[in-house]
Amino acid sequence: MTTAANASTIAHLADAPAADRLASAIALVARQFPQRTAIVAAAGGDSRRVIDYATLAAAVSKLEHELAAIRPVGVVARARRVESLVVIAAACGREHVPVAFLAEDARDLVGELSDWVTLDDALALPAAAAAGPRREFETVAPQVVVATSGTSGPPKLVDHSWDSLLAAARLAEQWHGRGWLLVYDATRWAGLQVWIQALLTAGRLVVPASRDPDLVARACVEEEVSILPATPTLLRRLMASGEPAVVGRMPLDRITLGGEAADARLLEQAAALFPAAKIGHVYATTELGEVFRVTDGRAGFPAEWIGRQLPGGARLSMRRDGELLVQLSRDTAEVATGDLVEQRGDRFEFTGRRSDVIVVGGAKVFPKRVEEILRAVPGVVDARVYGLPSAITGELVAAEIVIHEPLPAGATPDQVRAAALAVCRERLEPHSVPRLIDFVKKLATTAAGKIPRR
Amino acid sequence: MNPLDSISAAIRTVLHDAGREVKAIAPETLLAADLGLDSLDLAQTIVLLERSLGVDPFRAAAPATAPWPAIRTVSDLVTIYTAALRARTLP
Repeated sequence: MTTAANASTIAHLADAPAADRLASAIALVARQFPQRTAIVAAAGGDSRRVIDYATLAAAVSKLEHELAAIRPVGVVARARRVESLVVIAAACGREHVPVAFLAEDARDLVGELSDWVTLDDALALPAAAAAGPRREFETVAPQVVVATSGTSGPPKLVDHSWDSLLAAARLAEQWHGRGWLLVYDATRWAGLQVWIQALLTAGRLVVPASRDPDLVARACVEEEVSILPATPTLLRRLMASGEPAVVGRMPLDRITLGGEAADARLLEQAAALFPAAKIGHVYATTELGEVFRVTDGRAGFPAEWIGRQLPGGARLSMRRDGELLVQLSRDTAEVATGDLVEQRGDRFEFTGRRSDVIVVGGAKVFPKRVEEILRAVPGVVDARVYGLPSAITGELVAAEIVIHEPLPAGATPDQVRAAALAVCRERLEPHSVPRLIDFVKKLATTAAGKIPRR
Repeated sequence: MNPLDSISAAIRTVLHDAGREVKAIAPETLLAADLGLDSLDLAQTIVLLERSLGVDPFRAAAPATAPWPAIRTVSDLVTIYTAALRARTLP
């Protein structure tokens, strides 16, 4: 990969104002390597399309000029194609026009942005926008508005600056010209992080046509993806259900997990399957951005991190009930994360989300712990544990299990079920043992690629 | 329609899941004393019955002030589910 030529110029991007960086990076690569692939959309599918840097840069430039002429109050990006989202973000940043990304489940929130104009895949500004109020942005920082994923409540809009959006981006040469897989929703915080990172560093963004494990694995092989950012749920499904011969050929050298806690078993399995890959997990939220990343291949984070300032400037502490608190910097308030942690030896491990806790007859059940036990049962590929409303006990623990297909000779689903229940009875309090176990072909995942809990 | 068969089947599943001995189940069988069902077991039975019969009489639109029905015997459950099933089929 001929990245050396632009390495120094990309590194200089960090000197440009954050809002300009995405458009500048795309223009820069387009000048040096116009034919280089920027985005492979619908990879692995019938409608695969390739967008090169020159095409992307031309579209950004065109929209920039239109925005400069019209100057809308803000732009709501309603496009479905990743390349359109990229163009809208880059042009809005360059023109200092605030831009909002609303995922499917956050579309209702558009009312809060009623005087903003909407851009879809046609990238055509409505003529009426010309008559809209103009706003100058000399004092107000240009904003990026993103909706939370709504895993633990209704989605809400969160304001970010371009500085906070790009804070975690890595511009060093080792990151240049790489193939990045985008399995996240491109309109959410995690997805934005991936495509911005890829395009800031002359990379190739590969967007699979679906989340089908076989298709994703094949797309990674065919498009030479080397960096895989994913939730533990998506990685688990890929490893367990993708065609082993294809999964084994995925040329990954980095796997970055986020969005959910990565457990030790998953980290070990991934390390065994992808021995060449560095595997890390990121702790980030839509509100806080990236707080820390763990790269030692173990679950949780070192116990000594609590109560100490981390290299990134954040400070972690723990409430008496185990909830993780984050203070991003000295002059910001401490934020309750909703994530529960527990010390195990020299580590703090995540036990689940506060809102995930199932309350059975007044006793708490941490679904993540039950899931980990179920996943270790022979024949079980994956498991989801959730609370079922009950008039008698408030809630009842229920589980969905995906089993290996085919099961080893002689084994039956009933035996797997009995084994799962026996292990749960042995290792869990009676109220934590699942009372309803269903076999499913695959687990439901949220749009953000996480396990739904209710 | 008599829901006794569904109720017996649900209780058998609960006992089987818990690794306990599956005993004979008759209308006069006492849920706690004879079968050893605790409140979690009962909650599970109700969830299983919602699946097989399509009703949960304990969560249905009963007024909050209505007295909790006595659930001592298998026959009590039969009475409750029979009423719930009949209410559902009414126009």
